[in-house]
Amino acid sequence: MVLVKLISLFISWAAIVLVLLRGYPGRRPIVSAACIAGFALGLAGGGILIRAFTGELPFWIIRGVVAGSLIFFWGVSVAAFYRSTGRRYVRTRDEHFVASSIYAGAFSLISGILMGWLCASRLPVADSPVSMYMIVALAGATLALAAYALEKLLPAEITVSQAGLAAVVVSLFLFCCSTMPRLDLFSPLTMKVMKFTHDFVHQFFESMLIPDHLFIRSYLWDYIGLLFGNSVGFWGGLIIWFTPVVLVILAIQFERLPLVAHIRQGAVRRKLLAAAIRERRFRLVIPVIALVIMAAAVYKSRYPTVEYWDPKPLPVSADPSGEIFIPKKGEVNLEDGKLHKYLFKKGGKEARFFVLMTPQGKLTVALDACAICKPDGYGQAEGTVICYYCKTLIPLETVGKPGGCNPVPINFTEKEDGVRIDGITLINDWGNTVQATTRIKEGGK
Amino acid sequence: MSSGIIETTGLTRSYGDICALKPLDLVVPEGEWLSVMGHSGSGKSTLLNLVGGLDRPSNGSLRVGGKELLTLSEDGLARFRREFIGIIFQQHHLVPYLTAVENVMLAQYFHSVPDEAEARSALERVGLGHRLKNRPGELSGGEQQRVCIARAIINSPKLLLGDEPTGNLDHKSTVMVMDLLKELRAEEKFTIIMVTHNQEVAAWGDRTIYLDDGVLVREERMRS
Repeated sequence: MVLVKLISLFISWAAIVLVLLRGYPGRRPIVSAACIAGFALGLAGGGILIRAFTGELPFWIIRGVVAGSLIFFWGVSVAAFYRSTGRRYVRTRDEHFVASSIYAGAFSLISGILMGWLCASRLPVADSPVSMYMIVALAGATLALAAYALEKLLPAEITVSQAGLAAVVVSLFLFCCSTMPRLDLFSPLTMKVMKFTHDFVHQFFESMLIPDHLFIRSYLWDYIGLLFGNSVGFWGGLIIWFTPVVLVILAIQFERLPLVAHIRQGAVRRKLLAAAIRERRFRLVIPVIALVIMAAAVYKSRYPTVEYWDPKPLPVSADPSGEIFIPKKGEVNLEDGKLHKYLFKKGGKEARFFVLMTPQGKLTVALDACAICKPDGYGQAEGTVICYYCKTLIPLETVGKPGGCNPVPINFTEKEDGVRIDGITLINDWGNTVQATTRIKEGGK
Repeated sequence: MSSGIIETTGLTRSYGDICALKPLDLVVPEGEWLSVMGHSGSGKSTLLNLVGGLDRPSNGSLRVGGKELLTLSEDGLARFRREFIGIIFQQHHLVPYLTAVENVMLAQYFHSVPDEAEARSALERVGLGHRLKNRPGELSGGEQQRVCIARAIINSPKLLLGDEPTGNLDHKSTVMVMDLLKELRAEEKFTIIMVTHNQEVAAWGDRTIYLDDGVLVREERMRS
């Protein structure tokens, strides 16, 4: 069952090895050996890290490393695009290095380490015996060897440029991350973009003292308001996500054709040009595949197939003193570590909240909403709670603390037999934070 | 045994019970202009189609430019035709809605990439520099045939095949086309195999072979 969860990662791994082998055709033994060694190392290292540090730290690290690979890919793509716009093609010393065994081996080793680490992150933290890691390592090695055999069957015309290689490898890492909500990069990226845009617009236009500025009048807010829309983060994220791979495609498309003016016979001249154009067309195959993989990663990120624990809110009522009492061992067991949702209605108003036992063994009560997003509520998956609106993951340890994306904590009293919450305070907290925030988010009108 | 650009051994082509070409042994040296004569149904066009890779033999061996055509796949045969052969038909087979220069560029397109400047220059070589933008319907028979020649030589073929290229032309146009082919052959050094009914046209070649009912019955070397 655990291995089934790894299927998409295994397929990605085989694809990475396949492309690396095609990218370094003269270095097949080194590439495959480095891939297998890297995979085993990454799996072991990732497993040790996850077991050594509880909480989200190991996942933050691997997510940071994959984010770093995206930044690296940005650099590669910009360099490739810049080079393609040059007048003359000069083979530089760094290109010789990139084609060397050392570089091929190092690139393959790092790719293997990352992929092994990602697989380790997918395994259940608590109940994965060492034998499970060994099975995964064996599967990784087998897939690498299968890719070795399969690569020979690929059409010889399909070649891979260095930038194309980076594109497909990084896109597969991003895709693998998108299959795990706690490692997903696209959703946090969209949030960062949205926050940056909002902060920038706020700071910039506030400093210009709208609407008193001489040139920029208040009607401009109608347009500036677009930058505060929910979709700014998504579209901005898409630009950051797809630009490097588009640059790689353009770089290949803009590559200079060979100089043929000195060839006297027209047919030979045209044949050389046709061969170069054909080769260039085939080199586009891999970056275009990378583009599709990145789109799949965005789709996975937007519509994750993770099974959330998403209980239906149970209706509760207050006693004559206005207090809501939820027993610890009643219809549900509050101490089972799961998130339990409740709905309280009073005087035409309502508030949704949940009770959760944190890993520290402390009961906590919070609104089923944060102070930032629309109150779409929270679900629970992979040792975290997740905001259904922005897909932000909140470690269970931080639930009950105020601020940011955390669910808004509410005051309660814990008794031996259950928890008590003041109904009026609950309704007021919901009204003051959640609904007010929603009004502002929807246009501030 | 002498080697040539075309070597056939026991080359046969049958259509059901009908044997259009009976076992034929033929060697054509590189650069030769070979005329093929015979009455209708004697196997002239069958031979031309086999040599040009437009048809496959039923039996025997057929080597053209060192390649055994029988062993080539459909793709390989198409590549062979594209890079090795130029064909001039009696009926021209020009695309009616394309101009003269576009018709020539079409051959470039299927060979590699189109190059208008080169196509114009090829048409200028065959004396049609002033008719570049005319469609086939606006050209005389002789002019259309010259477009066909430009189209056939644009990809620098090693072997130029002509299937009665002057069959529809009057005497003046025939002489003009044959003169042009002679001139181009001297420059480009390609081999020509030309099927014709016309003894006068056949006399432009270095050698003439006569087919009768699919059998090579006679061959005649022309005076230079």
